[in-house]
Amino acid sequence: MAKKHTEDEHGHRPPAPMVDEISDFEVLEMAVRELAIEKGLFSADDHRRWTEYVHTLGPLPAARLVAKAWVNPAYKKMAVTDGVKASLEVGVDWINDMPTHFGTPSDYCNLRVLEDTPKLKHVVVCTLCSCYPRPILGQSPEWYRTPNYRRRLVRWPRQVLAEFGLQLPPDVEIRVADSNQKTRYIVLPVRPAGTEGWTEEQLAEIVTRDCLIGVAVPKPGVKANAKRPVHPAVHPVHHDH
Amino acid sequence: MSKVQHDRTHHAKKATGKGDPQCFKGEAGPAKFKVGDRVRIRDLPDIFYTRCQVYTRGASATVSAVVYESPAAEDEAWDNTDKPEWFYSLVFRQKDLWPNYPDLFANDTLETELSERWLEKA
Repeated sequence: MAKKHTEDEHGHRPPAPMVDEISDFEVLEMAVRELAIEKGLFSADDHRRWTEYVHTLGPLPAARLVAKAWVNPAYKKMAVTDGVKASLEVGVDWINDMPTHFGTPSDYCNLRVLEDTPKLKHVVVCTLCSCYPRPILGQSPEWYRTPNYRRRLVRWPRQVLAEFGLQLPPDVEIRVADSNQKTRYIVLPVRPAGTEGWTEEQLAEIVTRDCLIGVAVPKPGVKANAKRPVHPAVHPVHHDH
Repeated sequence: MSKVQHDRTHHAKKATGKGDPQCFKGEAGPAKFKVGDRVRIRDLPDIFYTRCQVYTRGASATVSAVVYESPAAEDEAWDNTDKPEWFYSLVFRQKDLWPNYPDLFANDTLETELSERWLEKA
């Protein structure tokens, strides 16, 4: 029987897989990928370069976009009207970035920045699959892709937000943005009290990925996403290689 | 569409340097609806593929933005990019989507996009 995720004989711990169960969709992806490579649509090397590029992406540019918008009203106006243009100033070119130079069918080039107000709170979901503004936010968290989050957020947004620790009074309008077509969304939260006089760098530190999806609000001193419960897989994969 | 050898890279060629949906700009003709219009979501048949979620069908919404031109997802799924149409961002009251949504939270809304074929004047 294979060993669990413990130390190997050299005394180091192998990296844990993001999901420890291979889903039907992952099997399907591998099959389609191998067929596409055989057919010559792209090479195995193209695929490797794309995968490596995708894993360099993270939520930092989006956090900087929000911080910049908080300190610069003109930039905020631009961000809300043209998210793709505003992304250029934080180093993300939706249209010409490597490696495809045109986005992909799952990374369409239409970013919309949803501006919160004290009376309006946005939260993002994709009920269709798990569309996510990857060029500016990196890979989506595991929970964002689950049917549980996707189907419940549109129907019971307040209950789901409460599970993330965010409870809002009834006079605050919650607006769920379902990104199932070609627009991708990030949330521009309200700048919290207690951050007066902060620099852009200090502000960017409290804009976490969860704040950008809308399931959390920035707070001075909070620089990390809240921990989500992880349930063990029913049929875990054993790594014996 | 009935080419002997279908060019599977035509989308990449068209979108390079422009982006998608930007590469379909100007191809849909005049938009039928404008910001502020009240529309109802049609319940069209959707054989094989759709992005019109069932929860929106039959519900009324307000157009919050006329967003871009693109082939409808229902066509694009089959690589049919011949007839782009306008897409609209629509705001629904949650009460209109879920009849038993609590009255206490009557302010809550949901925003999503749909292509023109799915909309009729409410």
